[in-house]
Amino acid sequence: MKLKNIKLTIIGFGEIGRGFARVLLEKKRFIEREYEVDLKVVAVCEIGGSIIDEDGIDLEKALKLAENKELRKHENWTSMKALDVIKKVKSDTVLELTPSDIKSGQPGLKHIKESLMKGMHVVTSNKAPLALKFSELQKIANSNKVKLEYEATVGGALPIINLRKHALQINKIESIHGILNGTSNYVLTKMAEEGVTMDVALKEAQEIGIAEADPGYDIKGIDTGAKVAILANSLMDMNVSFNDIEITGIKDITPEAIELAKKHNCVIKLIGDVNRLEVSPRLIPINHPLNVSGAMNAIMINADIAKNITIVGHGAGGIETASSLLSDILDIIS
Amino acid sequence: MKVDMKLQLRDVPGSLLRALEPVSVHGGNIVSVLHSREDGGRVSVQISFKIKDQSSLDLIKRELRKQNIRLSEILLEGKRYYSKKTLSFILIGHVIDTDIRGTIDKINDVGLVSDIDVIMPSPEKRSSVMMNIDIDNRKIKKLNRLINEICKEKKFLVIRSLEG
Repeated sequence: MKLKNIKLTIIGFGEIGRGFARVLLEKKRFIEREYEVDLKVVAVCEIGGSIIDEDGIDLEKALKLAENKELRKHENWTSMKALDVIKKVKSDTVLELTPSDIKSGQPGLKHIKESLMKGMHVVTSNKAPLALKFSELQKIANSNKVKLEYEATVGGALPIINLRKHALQINKIESIHGILNGTSNYVLTKMAEEGVTMDVALKEAQEIGIAEADPGYDIKGIDTGAKVAILANSLMDMNVSFNDIEITGIKDITPEAIELAKKHNCVIKLIGDVNRLEVSPRLIPINHPLNVSGAMNAIMINADIAKNITIVGHGAGGIETASSLLSDILDIIS
Repeated sequence: MKVDMKLQLRDVPGSLLRALEPVSVHGGNIVSVLHSREDGGRVSVQISFKIKDQSSLDLIKRELRKQNIRLSEILLEGKRYYSKKTLSFILIGHVIDTDIRGTIDKINDVGLVSDIDVIMPSPEKRSSVMMNIDIDNRKIKKLNRLINEICKEKKFLVIRSLEG
């Protein structure tokens, strides 16, 4: 069987980038058999430099070095920055997996723009560029006849964008409500189930690796807001930016409010309400499909023909998110 | 005139009888009564009855509202006559010390605060107040605007129900 070579550039080799590399190794044979392609990673870019090998990087070796923070010891390590790699190394698809900066969208924004303008498809998990410049980036992709895919930006492994694209084509989406941030959901669940304060719940979330050292993005609702902006553009054809989203986080929720909700058979959840372009804590009946526990994410769509559909799953994690990234890559290939 | 009325009652002895009384007092001839228990200590009741005219229906409604009985829907000759929702809100802040009576009165101008539950950990700490508000479906936006105004003025955090 003759395999078609597909060259990939990975920008950002943190949790998501490494998760993707691991899953790519695990599913290599499956992808070759089912899609008749050989997915070759020709560049891995990190802060300070990149590994480049046009014949394909040995990912197992790169992973081992990255785990020990010794990526620069790789024999193909160069000091070339990601933007230069995009300009000089030709690949079919660029995976933009750097962390989000919602104020500027950088460095992801320039990476995505440059890749599209160079005629390469982009698959990204980086919310900020899309939340800020959705329509501009789509226009650049269209005018360069390449694709910009972003399933991994919302809900990690949840196939929400592709669900709309491949299974709900004829539907008009009338409303979308979602629990789109695992950390805030974990904290609210702990407060409700164990009666602990927010500080205690947050510390626990940090200890088990769910929350970042600075969980402000999650608790203030910013992360959810970025996802609402992406869903509004992609699923409801609104032309909006992150700055149009009204955001109230969960930091001022008292244990007493949680107790009151519980007494009345409800829970409090941080909800992204796409119709209203709003993120806010909301009261939900305990038997509602959006009442999911722990760090889980859930998205409920109301469509004119299919009516209510709710999907629940892991909204974060390197391995889980790789499911969405690979789905986008294979979608482009097919 | 045929009336189908949906009510929400508390699941306590005598509540069904109290709800039926205004119907018969104002000349309603009860045809059927269906009731089912729901979560949260509530009973959903559907009463079908016949009345002489619309003013009798208005008297029945007024009497039921006086008793704080929630009317969720009325069909008059099969057509929707009056439809209402009960929305829940939690207000967090110094809700008691910032004239809770005034807050309720303002809300009652638009809807009806039919239930209230308060947890106040100590006078200097923020209290959490849950309110159920009966509201005509057509006035939900107005109620939301009003609650936003109250929250801005009194520095409350509001937690709305999903449908609110």
